[in-house]
Formats: sequence, C-alpha cells, structure tokens
Amino acid sequence: MSSVAAPAVQSSRTLIRLRYAAPKILATLIALLLAAVWIGPLALMVVTSIKPNSEFLNGPFALPIAPNLDAYWKVWEGLNFGVLLENSLVYAAIGSALAVGLAVVPAFALSRFDPPGKRYIFALLLTGLMLPQQTVLIPLYDILRWLHLFDTRIGLILIHGVYGMPSQILILRGFMTTIPRDIEKAAQIEGATDFQIFTKVILPLAVPGIVVGYTLNFIAIWKEFVFALVFLNNEAIFPVTVGMLKLNSDRYISAFNLPSAGLVISQIPIAILFIFAYRWISSGNFVGSVKG
Amino acid sequence: MAKVSLVDVEKRFGSHVVIPRLNLEIADGSFVVLVGPSGCGKTTTLNMIAGLETISAGQLFIGDRDVTDLPPKARDIAMVFQSYALFPHMTVFDNIAFGMKIRRLAKGEIAAQVRSVADRLRIESLLDRLPKALSGGQRQRVALARALVRRPGVFLMDEPLSNLDAKLRIEARSFLAKMHQEIGVTTVYVTHDQSEAMTMGDTIVVMKDGVIQQSASPLVVYNKPANAFVGGFIGSPAMNFLELGVDGARLVDRSAGFDMAVPDRLRKTLAGYGKLKVTLGVRPEALRPVPRGADATGAPLLSIEVVQHLGHETLLDASSGTHRIVARVSAADDSRVGETRPFFLDQDHLHLFDAETGANLSP
Repeated sequence: MSSVAAPAVQSSRTLIRLRYAAPKILATLIALLLAAVWIGPLALMVVTSIKPNSEFLNGPFALPIAPNLDAYWKVWEGLNFGVLLENSLVYAAIGSALAVGLAVVPAFALSRFDPPGKRYIFALLLTGLMLPQQTVLIPLYDILRWLHLFDTRIGLILIHGVYGMPSQILILRGFMTTIPRDIEKAAQIEGATDFQIFTKVILPLAVPGIVVGYTLNFIAIWKEFVFALVFLNNEAIFPVTVGMLKLNSDRYISAFNLPSAGLVISQIPIAILFIFAYRWISSGNFVGSVKG
Repeated sequence: MAKVSLVDVEKRFGSHVVIPRLNLEIADGSFVVLVGPSGCGKTTTLNMIAGLETISAGQLFIGDRDVTDLPPKARDIAMVFQSYALFPHMTVFDNIAFGMKIRRLAKGEIAAQVRSVADRLRIESLLDRLPKALSGGQRQRVALARALVRRPGVFLMDEPLSNLDAKLRIEARSFLAKMHQEIGVTTVYVTHDQSEAMTMGDTIVVMKDGVIQQSASPLVVYNKPANAFVGGFIGSPAMNFLELGVDGARLVDRSAGFDMAVPDRLRKTLAGYGKLKVTLGVRPEALRPVPRGADATGAPLLSIEVVQHLGHETLLDASSGTHRIVARVSAADDSRVGETRPFFLDQDHLHLFDAETGANLSP
C-alpha cells in the first residue's frame, strides 16, 4: 500500500468506529438526560431543605449561601416526625408482610397447578390491581366501621395487606415459575410432603422474589395517602404522608424548606430498604441448582 | 434390590395417548437403558416408575408390590435428574442428607451415612460447599450421592450425563457402569444417546411413539434389529437403507445400476415376501472397497463424495444413483473424492426390511 493512501484508510477507520460508537453515544446522552430529569428535583429538594426560606425566595435554584439544618429540627419537633415515621414503618412493614404472606401460597399454586378456570382467576387478580382506590373507599369505609376497625392501625394494616395481595401474587408467581420443577421432584422422591417441599425448598428459594415483592409493597404503602387520609382521624396514628399535610397550613405555607426537609427525612427509610433489598435481588440464588 | 414390572401400562394426557399399553419386565439387578428420540415416551415411562407421573391404566410392580398408586417415597426408588436438581440453598452435605432429615434419622447416623457415600464418590472435600461452587462433574456426583445414600431398590436415571462435556461423559459412563457392578442395584437409565445405551446397559429398550420397538441385549439390538427404526437408531454412523426392487432372488435398482444377488440365507425369506419393493439395511462397516486390481464382478459401484479421516478409521460418504451410503473403512484406505469404486457387501451383515412396515425380514 502506498504511503499516500494511509491517511485515507485512517480516516475511513475513524468513520467506521464513529458509526459503531454513535448509537452508544446517543444512548448515553439520553440516559444522562433522563437521569438529570430524575435527580434534578431530588437535588433541588435537598438543597432547598438546607437553605433558609429567605434564600429560597430570592433564588429557588441557587446554591445555599448559609446552609443549615434548622428546617430539619423544626419539622422533627413541630410535626412530631418520629411518631409519623414510626406509624409509616408499622403500616408499611406489617402491611407488606401481610400482603406477601397472603400471596405466597396462591402464587405457588398458580405457578404449579392448572386449576380449572385459571384464566378467570388471573382476570380477577388483574381487576383487583386495576381498581382505582377511590372506587373502593366507600365499601372499605363501611367494612371498617362494621368491623369496628375504623381509625385504628389494625384496620389500615388489613386494608394495605389485602390491597397489596394481587400484585404480590403476580410477582411471586412469576418468580416461582422460574424455580426448576426438577428440584421439587427431587424433594418429592426424597420423601418430602407437599408442605415440606413448600417450606424447605420452595420458600427458601423464593426469598429473592419475596424480598422484591415486599420492597415494592413497602414503598407503595410508604407513599400511600388516600386510604390513610380517609380511614384515620386520630393524629397519633397518622403516617408521614398524612402527617405532613400540616405543612400545608397557613403557618407554614411559604416555608418551602420545611416540606423539603420532611420529604428528605421520609425518603431515608426507603433508601435504606432499597440498598438492603438490592443485595438480595442480585444474589443469584439459583446458580448451581440445575444444568452444568 | 428389586425387579420392576410394567403391565399394560398406559399414559394419557387428556385424550392424547402418549404411551399405549406398555409391557416391560426389568430383572432384579439389571441395568436397563430406555433409549429413543425426543418424544418417544422414555422419560414419561421413567417418571411413571418414579411416581412423578400418574399411570392412566395398567399396573406397576416394584418387587412383588403393586406400587401403581403409591407416592414416590413409598416406592423404594432413588432418582438422578438430567439437571441434577440439587437444592441450591443447601450445602452438599445437606443435599445428601435431605431425605434422611425428612425421615428424622438420628444426627449421628445421618453424618455417618453422608460421609460414607461421599467417600465412595470422592466428594468428601466438597461437603461444605454450595452447588454453585461445584463443577458439572462434581454436581453430578453429588446428585448420585443423594440417590445412593437412600440404598434404593431401584435406581432411576434421567439422562444424567447429558450436561457433561464429552470427556467427562466418557469418564462418568465407566464410573456408573462400575458402580452398578459394585452395588448391583436394579437401574433404569434413560438416554437419547445410542452410544450411551450400547455401552452401559445389559438390556436396551428402544422406544418410539410410546411403543417398545425392541428390548434385548446391546449386541442383539445391534446385530438383529427388530425393524428399520431400531436399525437406523442404534449405531453410529447409522445403518444405510436402500429401497430396492425385488426380482426373483435379486435386488435391483436399474436407474442406479444396482443389481445384486440375495445372500443364500435370505433367499427363502425373500421368496415368501411377495411384495415388489424391499428395504436393504447395510451397516457402514459391512461395506468394503474392493482392493484395486481384484475381481469386482457383481460388486455395486459407489461414487465417493466425501472422505472423513477419523484417525483410527475413515468414513466414506458415497452415492449410487439416488441412494446415499456411508461406509466405514480402515484408516489405511486410499479412496479419493470423486472416484467410483466397487464395494463388497458383507453378506452376513445385510438386513432385509419390509418396505411398508419396516419389520426385519431376516431370519
């Protein structure tokens, strides 16, 4: 090849590389843009929470000049935030446990057996998922009154548990169908009863699925507002979402740093839970069970 | 140890009959291989013996007990799965001990038995590991240990070697055969691999569409296949089949220039056959090129298209008219691609099959 041709070859190589790299570059840019859309408001919330209100009114997007944690103390004291967090934690933790607990057995049954009318069972489950909360408010209100559970923690927990069950069944069923059947058959041959197969083999293997389902349900209950607003009157048992309504009153209306601080605090448990769950989700529990 | 008898066993899924009336007697202490192509019903049969599939009709006996309706745990069986089916959340020790723990055996006894079987299978150093930390061969041994520790009357194996690489598979084959010789437990082994079937079983049961085609020792199945399907399925490369016209005591295909006299032993069979077409079955090793310069009168001519040197032998892909033929010849053979050579047919290894039913006509 002559030396004159070399630069031409070089530039055509660059072009080819660019052609292959272009989609990747574009995808990265789009991903960064999307990340900015998600992170922007969060960052703004954090920044606002550590700015005195006057600073926020002068420049909502400006970085803080004299950052401080005053808003956090005020929210914590003023709203009795510790109690709100505790309530939310109780609703989310026990409500999700109830939802998952109610869902494991039907999910296993639907993942393994073909009962007559399986399609309709699914349709029914999906309907349960798609019902807007507002449509069930009045019947649920009546039921809670009838059970003398209106305005009680137990009442709200029960509703969260039952309301979360259909989605848990779908999530767990999807997960359980991936557990190889041979494992179950092996347990059967070894003499395990159906109950032993379920408790000693299926449940331990379904833990990642249970953690995923539990986490999603926990988050859903944590940010749930309508049920708590309608079914609770007693401030002492309000969750964070309803408790923070107070910040909307005249006294705090223009204090943007306070709701921001409240929101930041309320996100911390979710972040911790997610970090914990992520380790489980990516645990790769099935490796080595079947196939070489 | 126990014999296994399937009496008129039938399996239906809805209205679809997968196994119509199967009868099979598996002798105490024997190593029986169920072999056949995918969908032939071999695994379904094994699962019925295991109790993992219900039996739609008929009876199953293990020993003298009718176990047709008994659950797997009451059948005195152990099973090794193709996927090994180890419990991924348990250590090797717990995998092997699972059944004994279910039966609530004393801890000391469980530990002693696990160690003894682990020692026999040379996996004692792996007892604390999880299955994901094992190689394919080690997983297979653990699965075997889990089955062995039960000291079953019948050992069921569903393609236990098919996830191993070629080298390990050959090792595992002889390991399993040796183990069977040592412990002598009745073993039912399912595979689609005919070479596995040939090398491992005392008895091969060839199945197709849920029906047993032939049940006999490996050499009988190989040398006297019951029909063209068995002839074609057992043996690698497969038996060559040539559909030929019957002209008195001669087999002919004028368009291919093929015309040969039927060996004496088959003459009577052919005379009573009464159909115009017959299928000639020729094992690849029954074809030998006529030495150059030797008299080749009456030897069919084959055009050589591909020469495959395997080192210890050579495979010749050849044709005669529309017939495609594979010949297995010695590694020293000098056939070249493109040449046409006369071939001797080993008269003792020719099979005649009914052109319509596929049944072997040879006596």
